[in-house]
Amino acid sequence: MSALIEFQDVSKVYEMGDSVVRAADHISMQIQKGEFVAIVGQSGSGKSTCMNIIGCLDVPSSGTYLLDGQDVGKMNKNQLAEIRNKMLGFIFQQYNLLPKLTLLENVEVPMMYAGVSRSDRRERARVALEMVGLGSKVNHRPAQLSGGQQQRVSIARALVGEPAVILADEPTGALDSHTGREVLSLLQQLHAAGNTVVLITHDNSIAVQAQRIIRLEDGRVIYDGDAHAPEAVVSPNLAGTGGGQ
Amino acid sequence: MIRVANRRCIRNLSWKSMMAARTRNLVAILAIALTAVLFTSLFTIAMSINDAFQQSNFRQAGGYSHGGFKYLTEEQVDELKDDPLIWEYGFRRIVGMPEDAPFNKSHVEVSWCDENEARWMYCTPEEGRLPQENTGEAATDTRVLSLLGVEPKLGERFTMTFDVDGESTTQTFTLCGWWEYDEAITASHVLIPESRVDAIFNELDTKGNDGMTTYWGLDVMFKNSLHIERNINQILENHGYQSESRAKGDNFIATGVNWGYSGAQLMDNMDPETVIAIGAMLMLIVFTGYLIIYNVFQISVVGDIRFYGLLKTIGTTPRQLRRIIRQQALVLSAGGIPLGLLGGWLIGAKLTPVVISRLNGLTQGVVSLNPLIFLLSALFALATVLLSCLRPGRLAGRVSPIEALRYTEGGTTKRKAEKKDSGRVSLRSMAWNNLGRSRGKTAVTVLSLSLAVVLLNMTVTFTNGFDMDKYLAANSVSDFILANAGYFQTGGGLFSADTALSQKSTDAIEGQGGVTEGGRVYGETSVIHEFVSEDYYRACHGRWNDTQTLDWMVSNEERNEAGLLSDDIQLYGMERYGLDKLTVLDGDISSLYEPGSRNIAAVCSDDDYGNPEPDSYWAGLGDTVTLRYVDEFRYVSRETGEPVDPANGESYVMKVTKYHDVDYTVTALVTVPSALSYRYYGSDEFVLNDQTFIQDTGTDSVMLYAFDTTKGANAGIERYLKDYTENQNSEDDYESKATYAAEFESFRAMFTTLGGALSFLVGLVGVLNFFNAVLTGVLTRRREFAMLQSIGMTGGQLKTMLVWEGLYYTLGAVALALALTLMCGPLMNSAVSSMLWFFTYRFTLTPILVLIPVFALLGCVLPLAVYRSVSRLTIVERLREAE
Repeated sequence: MSALIEFQDVSKVYEMGDSVVRAADHISMQIQKGEFVAIVGQSGSGKSTCMNIIGCLDVPSSGTYLLDGQDVGKMNKNQLAEIRNKMLGFIFQQYNLLPKLTLLENVEVPMMYAGVSRSDRRERARVALEMVGLGSKVNHRPAQLSGGQQQRVSIARALVGEPAVILADEPTGALDSHTGREVLSLLQQLHAAGNTVVLITHDNSIAVQAQRIIRLEDGRVIYDGDAHAPEAVVSPNLAGTGGGQ
Repeated sequence: MIRVANRRCIRNLSWKSMMAARTRNLVAILAIALTAVLFTSLFTIAMSINDAFQQSNFRQAGGYSHGGFKYLTEEQVDELKDDPLIWEYGFRRIVGMPEDAPFNKSHVEVSWCDENEARWMYCTPEEGRLPQENTGEAATDTRVLSLLGVEPKLGERFTMTFDVDGESTTQTFTLCGWWEYDEAITASHVLIPESRVDAIFNELDTKGNDGMTTYWGLDVMFKNSLHIERNINQILENHGYQSESRAKGDNFIATGVNWGYSGAQLMDNMDPETVIAIGAMLMLIVFTGYLIIYNVFQISVVGDIRFYGLLKTIGTTPRQLRRIIRQQALVLSAGGIPLGLLGGWLIGAKLTPVVISRLNGLTQGVVSLNPLIFLLSALFALATVLLSCLRPGRLAGRVSPIEALRYTEGGTTKRKAEKKDSGRVSLRSMAWNNLGRSRGKTAVTVLSLSLAVVLLNMTVTFTNGFDMDKYLAANSVSDFILANAGYFQTGGGLFSADTALSQKSTDAIEGQGGVTEGGRVYGETSVIHEFVSEDYYRACHGRWNDTQTLDWMVSNEERNEAGLLSDDIQLYGMERYGLDKLTVLDGDISSLYEPGSRNIAAVCSDDDYGNPEPDSYWAGLGDTVTLRYVDEFRYVSRETGEPVDPANGESYVMKVTKYHDVDYTVTALVTVPSALSYRYYGSDEFVLNDQTFIQDTGTDSVMLYAFDTTKGANAGIERYLKDYTENQNSEDDYESKATYAAEFESFRAMFTTLGGALSFLVGLVGVLNFFNAVLTGVLTRRREFAMLQSIGMTGGQLKTMLVWEGLYYTLGAVALALALTLMCGPLMNSAVSSMLWFFTYRFTLTPILVLIPVFALLGCVLPLAVYRSVSRLTIVERLREAE
């Protein structure tokens, strides 16, 4: 069975003035359908680059990225937009809801881009909001909700299109620990329901909620394995010198 | 609080952040320049008109010295001229005036004056110079030379006869300088050397019996034109003189204040409506300027909100942030205001002649370069800029450092807890919702765009409403009118035998082929009185005289046996053609056709709209009107009843010594078309047929000859009349339907030009506002767009949404303009119809309809162009901006 997400020797290079920054350095990895994977790393480790490539927001400088067997690097902007719309669901740290739209309309937006009929998308948006516990507030605006509730709307928006992958970029970064736990629990429920979830975080305590951890450092994968293994949350470099987390 | 010397640091920050926003700077400079353009062009036109008024008045007053002392002895001149209040002075000695042909129709004065006086009297030679002492030289204008038949060539000799203190003398001079005759100046001057003046006085043994000749005139200029009269009286007082009355003693000196200064100031003469209109115009400019500059800075602050937030996190105070914004505004003003001043002056210079050409009696002068124009415009523009910075400054000062990082326009709105379920979300509805994020900005943008549309539509409606048929119907009843040039001059003298149309002129016209119909209108050149009741007399003359004067007039006016008061009238004698052009209000005009009949038509005045004014006549149908034709009269002293010479300045009354009375029966009540009337008013008017007029008045002075031509001959006659009145008989002039049509068109063109220019400038403001609104909308939502794209919105869908936003702005503006136009139309109709009698309201929406595709295009193109600049950043780069 082919992987849902497959990086084959993917590199991403940025030119910054005279210097060259290798944000992703020959990364190869596979994520299977139904997995809950956390991509972890410190600032500058390359995790955001990985997320951008996985989310089809960016393309590799070299190597191949296959999403459900399709070579994303060969797609044009519109094809990438379609892939993002149909196969990916984004959850952002800052929720990024549209302030003038109601919760229902916010959740409807991606389906509108996909050309789903009005009645269908309305119904699906309502179901998605009920799923995240906000069925009673469908006509509220984002400004009337707490941060955690807004993030739940963002999750509803991500899953309403029934994407192949849910990409969560530091989803608890702007939330207090209690609300953060609620959101993580929601992600675990999504995973339990059969969704593929990719979580991008710098926080090990968040990462361990996943099934599998891919740890990055300087653009390279330094750990890829069980999230609950002891070495999963300890940086191998630091482990060698007796440090750890 | 620790005070630190950080002004330099703030200046530096202000400069650096400003230089980082080049597009914004360009837009801001353009906006400021545009505001300054509006102010400067308005002030330039106003000042130029004021200057033109002043120049026109100076010409009528005979010069532009502030004032003067008259009929002085040489000793008095020496005494007064060095008074410290006097800034500059000029001397003049009048020798005499020619009265016989060829000067019988012209006012010419022969005198000596110094250089200052010559300059102030507009007698500076264009070629040559003023006469030198002890020579036979003289300098004069081209009219005098033309009347003498002398070429304006230096060294030419000319001889003229003139009266000096009652004595006639003939003198020959050599032309040493000449200047172009200016029609607006009342008198022509022949300037001769002072030595020649003395020689003439010696030769004629002139004593100065007329109280004028041999005396000196001293004209003066003060530091400024304020308090001229007070200064003149102060000078007299300083030297022990007075100007109140000759009766008060020998120390009387006659003085004169140049009324050109007191009467010419537009500012002094402004009625409340004008003040309100100018005030409203200034407010409109401040408002439009505010709209755009405020928007630019608001946008700029919103764009830099993260920068301000960051500055706040490192301790910058709100006051310092406001100062940063203010300093940027001042620096941008330094670029925009001078540009605007120059542009505005150039626009004003182009528009001024258009306006002045429509103002009666004003001569085209140079466009004012008064420093006040630039000072006031710069101050107003600067005030607008600073005013516009207040709110953006407050926004920058208020923003929380953390919120600034996440700021998205309208993102924090908490107006309604719940929104009614609209049942749809689409690109269009999202675009609509986006406009609601900053309702103030959207309203300002739509309003400023629609303002231009409304103005343009109003201009077109206004100028379209000018009804040429009404205008021509009121102004011209015939294809052509030929008369003495003075007849057509506004504010010209009364009709007299000297200004009658010659037989030669009417013969010349009648000799032309193509004249289908025509008729003479004879005018009154002798004294003719009617007799009216005292009540009617008082009612008529009470409009222009106070009670005291009226009482005096009533007591001095002659009365007939029935006790009725005699009063002046204006009598017409009309050939059949003229009689046919009268509007008969009551009775029958045909009884006037009969030559020698004693039937008369009483004239009722009408207003500009042709409505008769019932109080303007007394004689009803069937009434008998007795007209007294004065054959002889003399002037007698009011006090003694002895004969006096009015020229001596004593008060006098006219005493009729010989007359004949004729009774007429009023058979018609009529109005006389303005084109055939005397063109001055104040006395009751009556119309007789031409034969009766000639027979009873004993005069046959033709005031005008009106005639029609065949269509084919019209252009030829126009050419003939133009040549005839310019080259063959320049004393005559003519009016034609074509000249009225041209006048009408130029009147309309003036409003089209002014309205068009104003609409264009306001339109530019609107477009700039729109550009700013789109720019802000796109810039502040860069990240949001990236997010939308990350969840699947394609570039095309994003562009569609932006185009919808643009269309909502522009088409919304058109819709608002349409609503405003529909609402204002009837108001405009009643307001303008009451101001302009030749206005016929014609509703039009053509400009709005024409602008719809233009605005639609603008609504599509501009958002796409702005988006292009943003889309250069990748989605990732835009998403990272807030991290």
